Amino acid sequence: MSAAFSGSLAIVDTDDGQMIACQSCERPLVATGQPWKPNAAVKELPMHGAGGGAYESADHVVLRQFYCPGCGALLDTETAMSDDPFLNDVINV
Amino acid sequence: MAVDPITFSIIRHRLYRVVDEAVITLKHVSGSAITNEGHDLMVSLYRADGSLLMGGVGFLHHLTSAAEACKAIIRRFEGRINEGDVFLLNDPYTAALHTSDIYLVAPIHHNGQLVAWSACFVHVYDIGAKNPGGFCPDAEDIYTEGYSSPGVRLVNKGELNQDVLDTLLNMVRSPEMVTLDIRSMIACNNVAHDRMLSLIDKYGYDTVDEACSQLIEQSEQQLRARLRELPDGTWESRQYLEVLDEVYKVNLKMTKSGDELVFDFTGSSPQSKYSVNCTQWASLGGLFAPLFPLICYDITWNEGCISPIKMIAPEGSIVNCTRPAPVSVATVGAIQSVNNAACTTIGKMLQTSEKYAKEATSVWHANHFAIFKFGRSQRGGEAIGIFTETFAGAGGARTYADGVDVGGEIPNPISRMANVETVENTFPIRYLFRRRMTDSGGPGKYRGGTGMEFAVVQHDSPDGGMHYVVSGKGANFPMSEGLAGGYPGAPNSYQWVHNNEAKAEGTNVDVRGTQSIEEMPGEKEDVTWGVFPLMGDDALYVRWNGGGGYGDPLARDPDAVVEDVVGGVVSADAARDVYGVAINQSGNGHDAEGTAAMRSSMRSARLVLEAAE
Repeated sequence: MSAAFSGSLAIVDTDDGQMIACQSCERPLVATGQPWKPNAAVKELPMHGAGGGAYESADHVVLRQFYCPGCGALLDTETAMSDDPFLNDVINV
Repeated sequence: MAVDPITFSIIRHRLYRVVDEAVITLKHVSGSAITNEGHDLMVSLYRADGSLLMGGVGFLHHLTSAAEACKAIIRRFEGRINEGDVFLLNDPYTAALHTSDIYLVAPIHHNGQLVAWSACFVHVYDIGAKNPGGFCPDAEDIYTEGYSSPGVRLVNKGELNQDVLDTLLNMVRSPEMVTLDIRSMIACNNVAHDRMLSLIDKYGYDTVDEACSQLIEQSEQQLRARLRELPDGTWESRQYLEVLDEVYKVNLKMTKSGDELVFDFTGSSPQSKYSVNCTQWASLGGLFAPLFPLICYDITWNEGCISPIKMIAPEGSIVNCTRPAPVSVATVGAIQSVNNAACTTIGKMLQTSEKYAKEATSVWHANHFAIFKFGRSQRGGEAIGIFTETFAGAGGARTYADGVDVGGEIPNPISRMANVETVENTFPIRYLFRRRMTDSGGPGKYRGGTGMEFAVVQHDSPDGGMHYVVSGKGANFPMSEGLAGGYPGAPNSYQWVHNNEAKAEGTNVDVRGTQSIEEMPGEKEDVTWGVFPLMGDDALYVRWNGGGGYGDPLARDPDAVVEDVVGGVVSADAARDVYGVAINQSGNGHDAEGTAAMRSSMRSARLVLEAAE
């Protein structure tokens, strides 16, 4: 691995160039310069109760979770309403 | 000619100490708990043209707004600014954040020449808005948010303009307390003035002036160099603000290119009919509040830090509202959402760097609850005051450690709350409990710091109780976002517990002996926005958000989870369902094999679910 993209994602050198990959299993997700979330596994939980009893949110609020499709590591989360777009982060290296 | 390095360092440090001593003065003279207990204040020094010279502590989103206040006074009073003057400005559409945060800005002259400005603010005891205390959920527009001035001369050549002060005092509740607030700011500026002149007397004006120029140049060079060390890219964040049935969004895309940062709020909601809006100056201050401590932690906070930063805030949006939109709740509304959104994008950027990852943080205490109690005190006088618990905050998790429980907030490095006894001595209320809130910290490899919960009832009130104003957005949407898979901290909750009705219906529970909201017999009603009573045995229950978590909760050290459960900050249910830890039967350890199996199963379930979808 050559650099970090976040605490859960790394930037790795591959035969196809630099890719954003899962830090846990090194599975490449997308080339740098592109949003990675469309290539992750996505699940939306009701925010209500998501982190324990203090999470008393309304029904329309979800905890969006992005997993590595290779190992199931949790890569990122978003507080969202279901029809809101992903928050995309792009790095240019 | 450049100032020699040693003299430069001494002058830089002395400038900081000028601000520091002025802050101490402010706290000692003001009689308001929001100032001397909560530290809702700010003092800074500015150059002769109003540009930021030395940013102080307190609420950091005021540093740039007060610069604009100085510039507005310079424009309005050009050619008529005298030695010994003090000007008052609190109009949000000129520079201030909301009307109750009054700026007092004072020119500093040396040998008859204007050489600098000092500026400070406190949230005054009252500003004459429709609701007591300044936060005004009932406001329809800026005209119902109290006294507002785009700039007036309060002190003329060292002499107080009593008629000007009386005009303000004639429009506010508790004028004697507002007088103390105003006098604390005059005293603060006097101290800054005297210490600044002492500095000039010691080193000479030319040397101090050159050192100030160098200091600003140094900050700009240091910040630009730091930005060049970080990768180019764009990072996005989003904050939700809900008021009653309305939901507003603050959308942010932060772009870093070379040695510049652009914060673009395009796509944020149109301005609201409610007072959660903020003006452009407030948004600019809002994004600097996390930027100063997270990126410029070792750089002097001055105009040099501002030059590389650009902001795009569409006019007519909730982050750049137009007159006469109400803004009295801005500091805990749109401004705080700007704080939070910027904290997230900055944190995302910093975690890409091995060198700076340790400076990244999930969002701290993202949701202030501005609850002002008002009525007659147990001594018969008028009493208005915020629950300073809102300043106690909750730390966001870092890349290497948990967030600090009840650990304050990023935009105000010196915020704190009053002791229970202090509040009970001043207001006719009694606390039933105040403690860390279980499961409020955002789960993660590193957990967000907890918030707290408390409940109060009236006690010894001559009127049978008080009322309170609550501007409590954020009960549905968690606002302390996590990073790298960390969960957001839990949302806030504000509840009116109707124990009087339960008592009338025959309950024999002694409310004053209860230790949790579950033990209270009364019906619970969410109260998020407006004015409500605290009478008889009815209780007000409040809990506030935890900080955001960092990393996958399944990667958290199981022993740390056990410690959290033993300490009461994580429930056994959350330990099992969120962290995947098999707590043993004695409750003081975990079954290693069981934990490993549970976590493996939970990871597999994530992928099974994905395949099924």
